[in-house]
Amino acid sequence: MKISRFQEGVARLLCASALAGAAVATPTVTWGEDLGPVVAPEFNAAKAELGRRLFFDARLSGDAAISCASCHQPENGFTDGLPLSKAYPGSDGFRNTPTLINTSLKANWFHDGRLGTNLNDVTRESLTEDYSMNMDMRLMQERVKQDPVYVEMFEAAGMGEPSNGGIRKLIPEYLKTLISKNAPFDTGTMSDAATRGQELFTGKAGCIACHDGPRLTDDSRHNTGVPENPEIWSNPVRHMTYAAFASFMGVENYMNVRRDVGAYIWDHKADGSTIGTFITPTLRELTYTAPYMHNGMIGSLAEVVAFYNAGGGDDANKDALLQPLGLSDGEQADLVAFLEALSGDPLTSSDYVWEDAIPTNYPAIENWREQKN
Amino acid sequence: MKQINTFSLLASGAVVSMAIAGAVGLTAPALAGDMAYPALEALGQPPIPSDNQMTEAKIELGKMLFWDPRLGGDASTACVTCHEPDQGWAFSDSLSRGYPGTVHWRNSQSVINSAYLGQLFWAGSAKSLEKQAPSAAKGAVAGNGENDVMETRLAFIPEYRERFNDVFGTEWPRIGDAWAAIAAFERTLVVNDTPVDRYLNGETDALNEQQLAGMELFNGKAGCIQCHNGPQATDENYYNLGVPPAERWEEDGLAQITFRYEIYAKGVTQEMYRELKDDPGLYFRTKEADHLGKFRTPPLRYTAYTAPYMHNGTFWDLEEVVRFYNDGGGENDFTDGTFASTKTPKLQPLGLTDGEIGDLVAFLEAFSGDEVTVEAPALPPYAALPSQ
Repeated sequence: MKISRFQEGVARLLCASALAGAAVATPTVTWGEDLGPVVAPEFNAAKAELGRRLFFDARLSGDAAISCASCHQPENGFTDGLPLSKAYPGSDGFRNTPTLINTSLKANWFHDGRLGTNLNDVTRESLTEDYSMNMDMRLMQERVKQDPVYVEMFEAAGMGEPSNGGIRKLIPEYLKTLISKNAPFDTGTMSDAATRGQELFTGKAGCIACHDGPRLTDDSRHNTGVPENPEIWSNPVRHMTYAAFASFMGVENYMNVRRDVGAYIWDHKADGSTIGTFITPTLRELTYTAPYMHNGMIGSLAEVVAFYNAGGGDDANKDALLQPLGLSDGEQADLVAFLEALSGDPLTSSDYVWEDAIPTNYPAIENWREQKN
Repeated sequence: MKQINTFSLLASGAVVSMAIAGAVGLTAPALAGDMAYPALEALGQPPIPSDNQMTEAKIELGKMLFWDPRLGGDASTACVTCHEPDQGWAFSDSLSRGYPGTVHWRNSQSVINSAYLGQLFWAGSAKSLEKQAPSAAKGAVAGNGENDVMETRLAFIPEYRERFNDVFGTEWPRIGDAWAAIAAFERTLVVNDTPVDRYLNGETDALNEQQLAGMELFNGKAGCIQCHNGPQATDENYYNLGVPPAERWEEDGLAQITFRYEIYAKGVTQEMYRELKDDPGLYFRTKEADHLGKFRTPPLRYTAYTAPYMHNGTFWDLEEVVRFYNDGGGENDFTDGTFASTKTPKLQPLGLTDGEIGDLVAFLEAFSGDEVTVEAPALPPYAALPSQ
């Protein structure tokens, strides 16, 4: 069923009040009909292959120390398995690394959803942001031009001469290949527990209110009251990284802020009501991507479900959708089983990983004076 | 947060003409021909800008910051990284060290006596030490830092919070004040008591016979005074001497990357991006063909410690430099008409004997004085901020 965003909101409120026990009413909208397999986008194989090599190449960071894959590791569902991500040397991360599986289908990117355009922009941001890869893209272009393998691959892929614009097209082409595959939910091979979990997901537990669609997210911002990760404020390098980010984002009084304001940066609402909102994450591939939440504060899926069963955390701006659910232990276990059934095959084969060694240095161009730059 | 700086085309032409105008009219020893140049003079005290007065506390803070690698992108690269006290406050390789993963593209210049210069960097792109420091800390092949991160790092170092508050009165350290403090420290790195300075101050036995013979050549037959004149031994004007292109550009992949990066980042025509194989120097700032391959005359004090020489470190000792001038300079891509022919007519073969070359080198060595050594400061640690 396709419903408008407005209708959807109304339905959610109805659903929430039903969950709160204020009224026993059959929701006018049945959730879950748009759950289903993720539809893989088309991609160009030669460009995706080139993007794959770029993704794994540490020479795409300012001091050539880290690649995209340093934090987005295939064996961890393209996350790093840490509560808070690492960062470019000299900085330290203040959020949990999100998975890149299905990222090409998202409506916005980063936990605060600050980019809502396309992966070209996301790639630019990740390459150039001083705490992520700190790369001057003009220097990046000249590095890539110095590697004969890239020169050949660009030509073969119809991309002409290596350029920073080309690089920002090619990495997204590779990201299009990272699509969930063979999850029991998609192949119809869920356990009984998972099937019961799906009922709860779309019904009593109300997860579907935000986690809908093939990727199980509404791509919108919500405050669920996830507690702050104290490590951000006790580790001066993490705190410094956050403060520099907050200053750049125009957060008022950023040196005295002691919480991650999240998607507040969209609108800087004067009443503070959007502080602590974050984009609903996908629920696919969760078995590979612990720990959870935007700041890695919850270590297991059982604990995540327990968190929602308690009505989420404690925050003045918490979304009214969150209310205690009254799920039994068995029901919570069923929900976990359903969540686990949303994870598919690991994307760790050579289709997804660049397995050949990537050089760390550059050959000199022969007869340099006679060659055009 | 990385921003691409828009290249400024301002002022360089005016500065050049002012420098020339300033040279005319001063009484000075006459050279062959009718031109007069400012005489070498003993070096006095450096000028102190009225908006950045020197205090002990500011100098001490600037010294710490000069050594602090947290004023760079990945917290590995400080001012001192390319301006090493035991390498003449420069870097003893043809091209400077560069940020990790890169090599720089020009020779690192000494910080000693930079306080006197109005044109900093080889093409004069900064007009004050306060402007030079951030430019070096931020360039992708130098410090690769960003203002917001560098400034915020300082805020998480309690000792810096105290010191910045003491010196500048701010609650939190400000990055512009960091550059001011570094500039103040650099203004203490002065060598103005070389044997040549003492001689020019009337201490007639400060130079030996050979050095005096070298000085006479410098002012006369060798014509060095044409550009290396006045108290600083530089006219701060721009010339193409025909210094050959850097050899490393032909041999070193990393250097080739940086060369292309610079011509891309600094902005040239598409045709020039494809064709250039030599450093256009002042042209980057003015985009005037007359300025291709021109670099600012460097000062000469302390040069005994700062090998190798020239904007790309082509010459490894002073004798090589003198022999280069004795040959009337050299050839590069901006002397042979490939792009332009901008070589200065001031350079002509000099006909110096080996003995005269030795005399000139002896004079230059007497222009260097004692080595400036400084004990590296201890750097204060980060600490968490109090919770709110």
